[in-house]
Amino acid sequence: MALFVVFQTTFFLTLLSLRTYQSEVLAERLPLTPVSLKVSTNSIHQSLHLQWTVHNLPYHQELKMVFQIQISRIETSNVVWVGNYSTTVKWNQVLHWSWESELPLECATHFVRIKSVMDDASFPEPNFWSNWSSWEEVSVQYSLGRDILFVFPKDKLVEEGSNVTICYVSRNIQNNVSCYLEGKQIHGEQLDPHVTAFNLNSVPFIRNRGTNIYCEASQGNVSKGIEGIVLFVSKVLEEPKDFSCETQDFKTLHCTWDPGTDTALGWSKQPSQSYTLFESFSGEKKLCTHKNWCNWQITQDSQEMYNFTLIAENYLRKRSVNILFNLTHRVYLMNPFSVNFENVNATNAIMTWKVHSMRNNFTYLCQIELHGEGKMMQYDVSIKVNGEYFLSELEPATEYMARVRCADASNFWKWSEWSGQNFTTLEAAPSEAPDVWRSVNSEPGNHTVTLFWKPLSKLHANGKILFYNVVVENLDKPSRSELRSIPAPANSTKLILDRCSYQICVTANNSVGASPASIIVISADPENKEVEEERIAGTDGGFSLSWKPQPGDVIGYVVDWCDHPQDVLQWKNVGPNTTSTVISTDAFRPGVRYDFRIYGLSTKRIACLLEKKTGYSQELAPSDNPHVLVDMLTSHSFTLSWKDYSTESQPGFIQGYHVYLKSKARQCHPRFQKAILSDGSECCKYKIDNPEEKALIVDNLKPESSYEFFVTPFTSAGEGPNATFTKVTTPDEHSSMLIHILLPMVFCVLLIMIVCYLKSQWIKETCYPDIPDPYKSSILSLIKFKENPHLTIMNVSDCIPDAIEVVSKPEGTKIQILGTRKSLTETELTKPNYLYLLPTEKNHSGPGPCICFENFTYNQAASDSGFCGHVPVSPKAPPSMLGLMTSPENVLKALEKNYMNSLGEVPAGETSLNYVSQLASPMSGDKDSLPTNPVEPPHCSEYKMQIAVPLRLALPRPTENSSLSSITLLDPGEHYR
Amino acid sequence: LSSAASISPAESISQAYSLALYMQKNTSMLLQTYLQYQGSPFSDPGFSAPELQLSSLPPATAFFKTWRTLDDGERLSLAQGAFLALTQHLQLVRDDQSDLNPGSPILLAQLGTARLRAQGLLGNMATIMTALGLPMLPEEDTLGLVAFGASAFERKCRGYVVTREYGHWTDRAVRDLALLKAKYPA
Repeated sequence: MALFVVFQTTFFLTLLSLRTYQSEVLAERLPLTPVSLKVSTNSIHQSLHLQWTVHNLPYHQELKMVFQIQISRIETSNVVWVGNYSTTVKWNQVLHWSWESELPLECATHFVRIKSVMDDASFPEPNFWSNWSSWEEVSVQYSLGRDILFVFPKDKLVEEGSNVTICYVSRNIQNNVSCYLEGKQIHGEQLDPHVTAFNLNSVPFIRNRGTNIYCEASQGNVSKGIEGIVLFVSKVLEEPKDFSCETQDFKTLHCTWDPGTDTALGWSKQPSQSYTLFESFSGEKKLCTHKNWCNWQITQDSQEMYNFTLIAENYLRKRSVNILFNLTHRVYLMNPFSVNFENVNATNAIMTWKVHSMRNNFTYLCQIELHGEGKMMQYDVSIKVNGEYFLSELEPATEYMARVRCADASNFWKWSEWSGQNFTTLEAAPSEAPDVWRSVNSEPGNHTVTLFWKPLSKLHANGKILFYNVVVENLDKPSRSELRSIPAPANSTKLILDRCSYQICVTANNSVGASPASIIVISADPENKEVEEERIAGTDGGFSLSWKPQPGDVIGYVVDWCDHPQDVLQWKNVGPNTTSTVISTDAFRPGVRYDFRIYGLSTKRIACLLEKKTGYSQELAPSDNPHVLVDMLTSHSFTLSWKDYSTESQPGFIQGYHVYLKSKARQCHPRFQKAILSDGSECCKYKIDNPEEKALIVDNLKPESSYEFFVTPFTSAGEGPNATFTKVTTPDEHSSMLIHILLPMVFCVLLIMIVCYLKSQWIKETCYPDIPDPYKSSILSLIKFKENPHLTIMNVSDCIPDAIEVVSKPEGTKIQILGTRKSLTETELTKPNYLYLLPTEKNHSGPGPCICFENFTYNQAASDSGFCGHVPVSPKAPPSMLGLMTSPENVLKALEKNYMNSLGEVPAGETSLNYVSQLASPMSGDKDSLPTNPVEPPHCSEYKMQIAVPLRLALPRPTENSSLSSITLLDPGEHYR
Repeated sequence: LSSAASISPAESISQAYSLALYMQKNTSMLLQTYLQYQGSPFSDPGFSAPELQLSSLPPATAFFKTWRTLDDGERLSLAQGAFLALTQHLQLVRDDQSDLNPGSPILLAQLGTARLRAQGLLGNMATIMTALGLPMLPEEDTLGLVAFGASAFERKCRGYVVTREYGHWTDRAVRDLALLKAKYPA
């Protein structure tokens, strides 16, 4: 043991002495100070590049050394970085090292020095640091141009969120320099009077065209120059996401990933990141040309495991993701093919398909989806290459879509795409009886039964319904059943049955068979039961109906109604234990009256009408107003009536009427209330609550007043449409009285006229007898009987009125008168226009003479005066006139006087020879103007009724009042021939 | 040129004047479009940096007296030289912008159009000079002095100066030609 200790000690001492010796030798032999230090700059990367050598290294020996590098800025004492660089050094080797400066190198002078130390295990401790090399100065400012302002670093590429230092160099310290980042001023730290640096922390990504940073040199307000840089800020490269690889054929691996943000920058500063696939087991690498997928060729069949690394890379960063997998676990099958259906019947089918074979002994898991009738069923099945599945419980006559997808059963990775096909199952006999109802119209001796049925639902039809069979069987007497086949899609048929009970069976038939039968029994008694109709109120959702249960056994109830406007019978079956139901359908329309009938179905399937209901799903206001008639119009009242208005065919139950009345009076009549119309005008309103009261007496009116009325019905929803008012004017009271008086008077006059007509002969004889014929007159005989033998009766044909004939007369007075008259005629003939009528007047310019029939039975004096009786009767004729006429002069005078009275200004005188038209109208105007302005006498052809009266007999007493016009005096001694 | 020789001075001056007037209408739009794509400070409202100049591009501004006292040949030569430089610079700016703003076809199209018009005006000026019997300016590569390693910001500034000077020179060409037009009435 002691020997061992001694040996050990000796060994250590020897070793120690040896190492001491070696180091001493090296220290003496090798002054390891770095020499030939050269520093260059890289402006793009803002880096200092150092290169140096180490002298006195042992020849052909590699030594591990550590170099300490010191970098100062602006001045040597301002050390900004110190760091060690370890490397192995060979003899005569030039060493390189780079340092990237945060501050752009252009903005400050940098100083670099270096020292070294041996760090090699072959050299024993202690090792000593060499001396520092001398400071090496690096300044690039001298290379700048003559511009007054410089900004650095130029076009630097950084990552979003990194810190960046920028700086400017201003040649003239007099200039005031302001710097801006995207328009916002930034503040920096002055490194020396010419240089200011700005530390930008966490620079944001603004746009891929870069961020402008610029500085403006100015003196006062005068801009001296502008200089700037574009900082290219890149988005941070993201790690690819969802990286996965799979194969469909064991030949190609298809790898996909989500690349994330594109980090490309403008000005070709940075392209989009690149993607590289690296497989570590094979050591192969592939640069991907697409940014989110890459195909990898499987070259070695034996390789099952793959270790992929996806590397994303841009100028600033490298990101990678790794996946390790077994190839057989990444099988994404191609979709199955040859999908077919075999043995398809009404409810079953066999589905077959094939899978692309991958490798032997592969088991596939397949999933089948069956879509049909709005439902989806899913089945899983495990198969080898050929798949088959039995689809059962299918609906008949239904189109299905079946699809299948598969996956590797042993190492499920993902399903393949679907492969599908459609198929249709076969038909089956309808499974349910059709829903049948009927309407019965009883006529004398028979019933007309209309059968209605609803088409079977697709679920129950099991195919296309081709026809309906209706079998009618007489229950009262044995007879052969009658079968009618009605082709689909008819949904009704009409039967005329006699007054027996009938059972009717209806079946629906498709190509396979018939449905169960629906049975209805029509009883022998017609359903003439009177049931009162009840009004019900509908809602938006429909009608809620309830009824009293039918006594006895019922197998159910049926509610039927008619759909408007199609007028199709609808019905609803209700169970036997239910006595209420809600009829709700979209077909109900507002304003349409629906009549519901509720039937109970007896066990014998005979329907019995239980109740009737009627109502509106929504009542509307009346669509039209009644046509109103005005009756019995008096001065104080009138009656309005609208008997023709039908209350039944309205869009709501008519509850009554509103009568609006407008009058000038502001006060409403009793029973009327004030109301304001939609146009804002005021009127009076009367409400009639009884819809059947279709008349109204409006009384208490004023005579000779105007009233306007308007009648509109109302339902619970409101009144009828607005319409114009009708005007009525009451008559005045007197007119009605007048009517009362006038009517009888008119009646009386008529009566009198009729009586007159009937008794005309009598009246004629009484009132205006015929003029007696002078020849037949008794007077003639009387005259003849007397002394005057010359007196004759003149014929009209003997009359020559156009000539004046002077008859010689024995009486001197008469001659004198005539002579005077003649001279007057000659001298004054032109004066009175009556005289123009005489044909002797050559210059007569009138249209024609007035024909005058002269009665020569006149008194001679009157005849001589030419008086034809045209002298108007003067009521003012003096009562003594006739008396004066006893002498011819007096008669003449009287005549002249009458002339003057009638003509006004016919000159008075002795004109006794004037011939006057009997119908010449009295002339007016100045007598002097008559000759120059002759007035045309009107045509006349009248005959003056005259009565010849013997002077002596007819001469009234002088005091007797008499009309000259109606009596002509006849002088027995004078007449015309 | 043989065909140009047959054109009268007045006619060629009138043609050149019309073109210059037409160009004048579009120069400010080119400048605005250009600035709009360059970011701040260029796109800031009212941006102007008259101190920015390009040594390779003669400035259009001149003392009025100096300009007015120039003879026709000198005046036309100066304009011709400027537009010769401008055509080359406009091509340079278009290249710069197609790199920096590849997604801005409007700007690139306007720069291309401006260059073609400048070339057209050059041709018109050559016709005038021939018609007036003035010596032709030898074509030279003014862009030989352009630094290709310019930074992005410098390129933006360069483009600004070029588009600005294009406008200024067009304005000056309109004045030059108006003067000539008055001298050689149709």
